[in-house]
Amino acid sequence: MDEVKVGVFLSDCGKQLSETLDFNALVNYVKDISGVVLVERNSEFWRGEGLRTIVDAVKNGKINRVVVAESLPKLSEVNIVQAVEEAGLNPYLVEVIDLKDHCAWPHRETPSEATEKAKAMLLAAIERAKLLEPIEKLEFPALKSALVIGGGIAGMQTAVDLADLGFEVNLVEKAPFLGGLAARAGRFFPTDDCAICIQSPASDVKTITHTSRKCVYRSGFSEIPNLNILTNSKVVAVEGVPGNYKVTIEKKPRYVNELKCVRCDLCTTVCPVEVPDEYNAKLKTRKAIYMNIPNVHPPAYVIDESVCKFHDCAKCVEVCPTNAIELDQKTERITLNVGSIIVATGFQEYDSSVIKEYHYGDYPNVITNLELARMIDGFGPTGGAIIRPSDRKPAKKIVMIQCVGSRDRRYNPYCSSICCMISLKHASLIKSAYPDTDITICYIDIRTTGREHEYYYERAREMGIKFVKGRPTEISLDPETGRLIVDVEDALLKRFLELDADLVVLAPAMVPAEGTKELAEILGLELDEDGFFKEYNAKLRPTETKLRGIYLCGGATFPKDAPTTSLHAHSAAIKAAKFLSTGKIVKDQRTAIVNEEYCGDCEFCPVTCPYGAISLVPTTEGHFVARVSDLLCEGCGVCVGTCPLNAIELRHSRPNQMLAQMKALMSVNGTSKPLVLAICCSECGHTAVDSSGMAMMRYPANVRVMKVPCTGILQVHQFLEAFKVGAQGVMVVGCKSDGCHYEVGSQKAQKKVELAKMLLKEYGIEPERLEMFNMVFIEGDKFAEAAQMMTERLEKLGPLQLMGGS
Amino acid sequence: MEYVRAEKTTNLTFSNMITSRLGGETITLCYQCGTCASSCPVAKLTPRFNPRELIKLSLLGEKDEVISGDAIWLCCSCYNCQERCPQKVEIADVIYALRNIALEEGYIPNIYSEFASALLNDGRIVKVSKFVENKRSALGLPSLQPTGVDAIRKILSATGFNKLQQKKEETS
Repeated sequence: MDEVKVGVFLSDCGKQLSETLDFNALVNYVKDISGVVLVERNSEFWRGEGLRTIVDAVKNGKINRVVVAESLPKLSEVNIVQAVEEAGLNPYLVEVIDLKDHCAWPHRETPSEATEKAKAMLLAAIERAKLLEPIEKLEFPALKSALVIGGGIAGMQTAVDLADLGFEVNLVEKAPFLGGLAARAGRFFPTDDCAICIQSPASDVKTITHTSRKCVYRSGFSEIPNLNILTNSKVVAVEGVPGNYKVTIEKKPRYVNELKCVRCDLCTTVCPVEVPDEYNAKLKTRKAIYMNIPNVHPPAYVIDESVCKFHDCAKCVEVCPTNAIELDQKTERITLNVGSIIVATGFQEYDSSVIKEYHYGDYPNVITNLELARMIDGFGPTGGAIIRPSDRKPAKKIVMIQCVGSRDRRYNPYCSSICCMISLKHASLIKSAYPDTDITICYIDIRTTGREHEYYYERAREMGIKFVKGRPTEISLDPETGRLIVDVEDALLKRFLELDADLVVLAPAMVPAEGTKELAEILGLELDEDGFFKEYNAKLRPTETKLRGIYLCGGATFPKDAPTTSLHAHSAAIKAAKFLSTGKIVKDQRTAIVNEEYCGDCEFCPVTCPYGAISLVPTTEGHFVARVSDLLCEGCGVCVGTCPLNAIELRHSRPNQMLAQMKALMSVNGTSKPLVLAICCSECGHTAVDSSGMAMMRYPANVRVMKVPCTGILQVHQFLEAFKVGAQGVMVVGCKSDGCHYEVGSQKAQKKVELAKMLLKEYGIEPERLEMFNMVFIEGDKFAEAAQMMTERLEKLGPLQLMGGS
Repeated sequence: MEYVRAEKTTNLTFSNMITSRLGGETITLCYQCGTCASSCPVAKLTPRFNPRELIKLSLLGEKDEVISGDAIWLCCSCYNCQERCPQKVEIADVIYALRNIALEEGYIPNIYSEFASALLNDGRIVKVSKFVENKRSALGLPSLQPTGVDAIRKILSATGFNKLQQKKEETS
């Protein structure tokens, strides 16, 4: 390696910093440090003249390491690093520190102490810079194709977006027809229009306008050239890495050739097998060869293999004019290579029959909202008539029950969020079609939080729909009249009601779609406590997962109404497009690296890695070693902290780099107080220190901050090393345990701190000298308080006595 | 209509007192859906008892009204409400906790305190009357043996029941 030549650039931010820090002393101190060949002082270095000084020094070959003390480093670093890279130096050889928020401002009342701390900070940055290695940028090829799992409105909209943008899209739907829950729901709030209507895709050249929207089946959706629709199919295996997934699809036979079927309906007229139609709430029957409703996609029949007599009957084969029926079709396995995966598996109604007191599945006139939706739908089994399933007579008295299995700690504790609106929509649709219907909605709380949603509630009251605040305890059947009785307390009137009803409609909880758990396992994704797919960050990245290249949308993350589902679908599409657009993934190699000589056979790191980036590979000597995927590694270092053999290092946070920094930070005290090393994670911990400075909070200058990528990287022996190099106390500052940017890092650190405390006790060192703190960026006050508290605690404890006197 | 000032109605210490007791832990989960009330056989017979209302009053801190009233003693402990509560509020157990608080503060209906003394004295809450004895012998049942009253007293004193009862007897 070339000789290390460090250039140090000290920004005094005009007079701001020089009022506290003695810059002449700093310049004099820095220029004598070995390896430093250039020291410059200016009012700023991140732009203009200051930045040119750095660029010139790099271009002239005068320096090959850059240390800049600049305010707002998290912002200025971007500019400096870019300029240095353009000047021809590896951008990872730049170290930027903050003498303002981390030193001058919090210690403004003790200028000489602040100056001494600044010296230590500069020395640490220089020592670290000297040990830094260039980091390469890696490029990984990515296929410009995507897999969308789930053909409901979320999946279909994502698929259209991506296909219109030119990507190859595979849309996989497990049912024989597209549409998902939406197709069954009939109509949507708040627009009251058909659920199955989507915006026309760009391929619909003849009628595409900015405003055009159509039913899926006539939208030209199926004719999008780069959209491959696979119905009756499910994902059974996924291998590979972001950008290059190999997906295995199992496609069940349809027994009808989609390309030949002309929907003439002759087959259904001859089919002798008649079974209850589940899709239509069993309110009608269908044949073994069937379509759910006439307007479905794909526009072809399907044979229900569980009831068809196949070659023993084969009447449909005889009658089919286009020879579309192929009874010998077999299950196919299809392999797809895609760059990205979008999960749009949605949700479904909870099985209300588990709530015994409501007798769903037992009393035929107790139905669910989805079943009612089939009655309201003109294409449905009753042609829009609202009937009692028991005798098919018109239902004139309807009671609706909200929160069935939702907001219920016995079943699903969460609020499904859309059921109030669904019931209000259904009640008003029925009331407008059949004004003499008597409708009562029993509710715990009516939740109409969306745009225009409250008007539904208002309209329902205007229409004369009755509301009872109370959750019914039981539905019973009057044996004489065959009518239902709903037993409820009107809590507002404190009156017990026995509501007589022809039809009781339950609003069941919305739960993750069947197969969600299996799919999560196949994809390596986590589910939340309610069983829905967990997004990476609900606030900022609602459609992304912790795995690069895999996205979520629609009800797969939580029950959603149609507008939110659309937002989600478009968001997932743009995120996937952004990922796939360049055909490659560019990533720096600030990743973990395994020393295979030390590594052996344990499985700690592959299990601990939050990103599945580590796999075990066999060696020629017959044992296994860990190997890190540079593509999947996010650079947190949790594996480093986990490895019992010190066989893993994280580039740019190697033990020698960290130790050099530690030593330097502890080398100068300048205060009368005991030195404290605050090891802060680069995310919330370090930024909390920033914000304490920004807000001009005070804490003593004996507290020295060292940045690590994530506190999860820390090993127990590093705490001991800190004491050995002169720290009287150690603070570990990480994200909140449930808010760690690397999932598990701060929890791991917490455990290691506890372990280290036990060890310290054994060594005769007071365990209170080591403490873990969790905070977020805005909690600068918490950091200042913690620093003050630690200092006072150490002053009380007195100087540290190390065994062996070292 | 009587208006109650807000600060009077938010006496959090009462709900804290309840949640810190065995059986009372779940009271704050209540969201007043009324499933308990419509499940309650007693509430349907008399307006003097409504479990939903009792919980609401307790959560609002109406301690005096709750513990001095007769509502808490009207629960028949059928546990219907507890079975069906969607928030898993252990309603019947909450009512036991309320009864305990009431007793500690000197509120207990006479009939209950008579039962309690009977239990301490004879090991039974109802005395065995001549009528019962005759009825049993007519049915061919053996006559009732004396209970192990010493053992029962031991258990009751271990639970502190006897002290509560003594306190009650002293105050009345």
